[in-house]
Amino acid sequence: MRLVQKMEPRHQITFFAIFAIVACSGTAGKDGTNDSVSAEPQATSTAATGASPLTGARIAVAHAGPAGEWQMPAGDYASSRYSELSSITPQNAANLRVAWAFSTGVLRGHEGQPLVIGNTMYVVTPYPNVSYAIDLAQVGQPLKWKFRPANAQQAIGRACCDVVNRGAAYADGKIFYNLLDGHTIAVDAASGTQVWRTKMGDLSRGETITMAPIVVKGKVIVGSSGGEMGVRGWIAALDAATGKEIWRAYNIGPDKDVKVGAKFKPFYAHDRGKDLGVSSWPGDTWKTGGGAVWGWISYDPALNLIYHGTSNPGPWNENQRAGDNKWTAAILARDADTGEMVWAFQVTPHDMWDYDAVSENILVDLPIKGQTRKALVHFDRNGFAYTIDRATGQVILAEPFVPMNWSTGIDLATGRPKVVETKKTAQDKNITDICPSLEGGKNQQPAAFSPQTGLFYVPTNNLCMDFQARAVTYIAGTPFIGGNAPEKGGPGGYRGEFIAWDATTGRKVWGIKEPYPVWGGALATAGGVVFYGTLDGWFKAVDARNGKVLWQFKVGSGVVGNPVTYTGPDGKQYVAIYAGIGGDMGLLIAGDVAANLPYDVRERGTTLPDISRWTSWGGELFVFSL
Amino acid sequence: MKWHLPKLLLVLALLLSVACDSTGNARTAAGGGASASASSTPESTTSTSNLLVAGDSLRFVEHSENLAAGFPSSIKPVAIKNPHEGDKNAIATGGKLFIAYNCLDCHGAEGSGAMGPSFQDGRWHFGGSPAEVFESIYQGRPDGMPAWGGRITNDQIWMLTAYVRSLSSKDMSTENFTGKTVERTGH
Repeated sequence: MRLVQKMEPRHQITFFAIFAIVACSGTAGKDGTNDSVSAEPQATSTAATGASPLTGARIAVAHAGPAGEWQMPAGDYASSRYSELSSITPQNAANLRVAWAFSTGVLRGHEGQPLVIGNTMYVVTPYPNVSYAIDLAQVGQPLKWKFRPANAQQAIGRACCDVVNRGAAYADGKIFYNLLDGHTIAVDAASGTQVWRTKMGDLSRGETITMAPIVVKGKVIVGSSGGEMGVRGWIAALDAATGKEIWRAYNIGPDKDVKVGAKFKPFYAHDRGKDLGVSSWPGDTWKTGGGAVWGWISYDPALNLIYHGTSNPGPWNENQRAGDNKWTAAILARDADTGEMVWAFQVTPHDMWDYDAVSENILVDLPIKGQTRKALVHFDRNGFAYTIDRATGQVILAEPFVPMNWSTGIDLATGRPKVVETKKTAQDKNITDICPSLEGGKNQQPAAFSPQTGLFYVPTNNLCMDFQARAVTYIAGTPFIGGNAPEKGGPGGYRGEFIAWDATTGRKVWGIKEPYPVWGGALATAGGVVFYGTLDGWFKAVDARNGKVLWQFKVGSGVVGNPVTYTGPDGKQYVAIYAGIGGDMGLLIAGDVAANLPYDVRERGTTLPDISRWTSWGGELFVFSL
Repeated sequence: MKWHLPKLLLVLALLLSVACDSTGNARTAAGGGASASASSTPESTTSTSNLLVAGDSLRFVEHSENLAAGFPSSIKPVAIKNPHEGDKNAIATGGKLFIAYNCLDCHGAEGSGAMGPSFQDGRWHFGGSPAEVFESIYQGRPDGMPAWGGRITNDQIWMLTAYVRSLSSKDMSTENFTGKTVERTGH
């Protein structure tokens, strides 16, 4: 299929030599609440603190397909967003240039990432969720096909946070993705014809779908959005061949619905008991309690477990739902064949700050205190970075990765946060200066992991909020929120930071402060270069070891998508990224950047007062090479 | 941006009282088809305000500007007025209904725009006359605006109309990055 499958030059030996020097110099510094301001990217340099050697770290699952392809949303089942390609290095990254670009024809937030299989790139747009197959083997990159699915217009107004789509999955010659109106579809990768189409969500109850599926052993795993609409969140598996639903597990409700049974062995005692998905809610409130699955899904073939997060409980007003509200704001491990829950860890019990736990769960074997641990690393909206035993659900360590003040730490005996009383939100009260804001220390923007450095590369937000909860009535198809939470920049005068994180110690190694929340994802490569994009439209290549910015290019719109890399038919390494500001940060918070409709012009938002000066909306794919 | 502290009970009591005093409507669809919610009842004509007096062939929107001059029209123009237009009390009640029916969480605090479009910009996708705004609320719109006709009383819809129209006063044509900003909430 591929015209050329050239081996990439390898620099690993050189790289490891360099890395060894860096590792021995000990750049790790605990810096979760650093307020320092720096106009320039800087490496946080503190004295050696006895950090574990990281060279034993490896990704739990190998990259899917040839190294030069990008077959899965995160590149692999481990959600590592790491590529073995190594042509682009810190030495030559300054020579990167635009190779070609492609307008998706759609405005609004371009979260997610394209796929590359063989010599074809597959792009899925925000609503109306058009998909394109782009022929990489021909000059000018003509389309092989485009597919324009039937997609109910009503969905636009039922999606809380812009009409985003986080990408497609590929298996067995088919492209699988979700439509905003609640359908999952399969499209023939060769011809662009629809193979099957299954209605999974109910728009009239506020259920939309925005997440990227993954395919595990012939099953397409998908989950619902709608945590702001009073949905009852679920995750489901469809037969990849036919689209028939094989299993569906709710995240709230009786054990039978939640698929809690004989296999369920949570690590913490307070998570054991019958029907906790009902008894941790007052009355029938569990039926509209949120717990959606709009983020990323990981899979460990050895344990045969899938891992997913769940969204905030609904409504935001905690007064209407006393109790732990299981299993909202939680990380759940389920049997990949049956959906049965194997363990659960509620990251933020009785969440009252809109701290969804839908961040990706990165599956990496890490050397911790002399042992190799089967770890799951999760950077939560609540501001803590968790290193968890992915076999048992035990929290190994949890440390703040952004400025925060709502909790003083995680009690490792219970896994629960120690909550600061004065930062608890309450109905009819205005609780001020809570950090992080409801956008979280990190939101949908996925982190990356490099087995070369052993470090996680994390796009983060630095925002705080006031929280004003109020009573709200459930009305099907309308928001079920009950609160307002105006946001502002966090301490230090910057609103986002791209950081490198050591998950064996829970420490930040370096950081690049950004004027705006870093709402796009990260990509790590074997060349020692890490890529990310910014809300004001800079696409950057940085040195994986020290965060030095090697190259940057101003793309056509703010970046909320995730970079991928692939080998082109000419044997060269390419890096692709969507431009297209939007999502929660672009549409709701900025407001005015998306205000070009003649009937919908908005004032600037206080949170990002001048973002619209630097970018406006527009969906475009940019591809770079040396 | 001001933050409203609604007292739910007060609002509910208000809703009930409004529902009991529901006003008339010649639109036959109002009482049929859609089922009433718990806090409101289907309407029948009352004498307090016969808002729509056009009879059974009522058309809310007549775009006569699209017709050639002198084009014979069988449509009898009907002046449809909001009985609450400009009424401060009704606008205040409409503001409470705006929160009670979760309009705020779609259209933003004080209609500054969120999931749904802004009401502060003086611009209207489906027209900004009282009748057109009433119609948007009554029958919903294709991008996901729910249909409230038959679920809440027409009088409440008129009060919401008065409130929403009261928000529309700003000229936002130019953004020069020195003007004021508004607080916005993400999700």
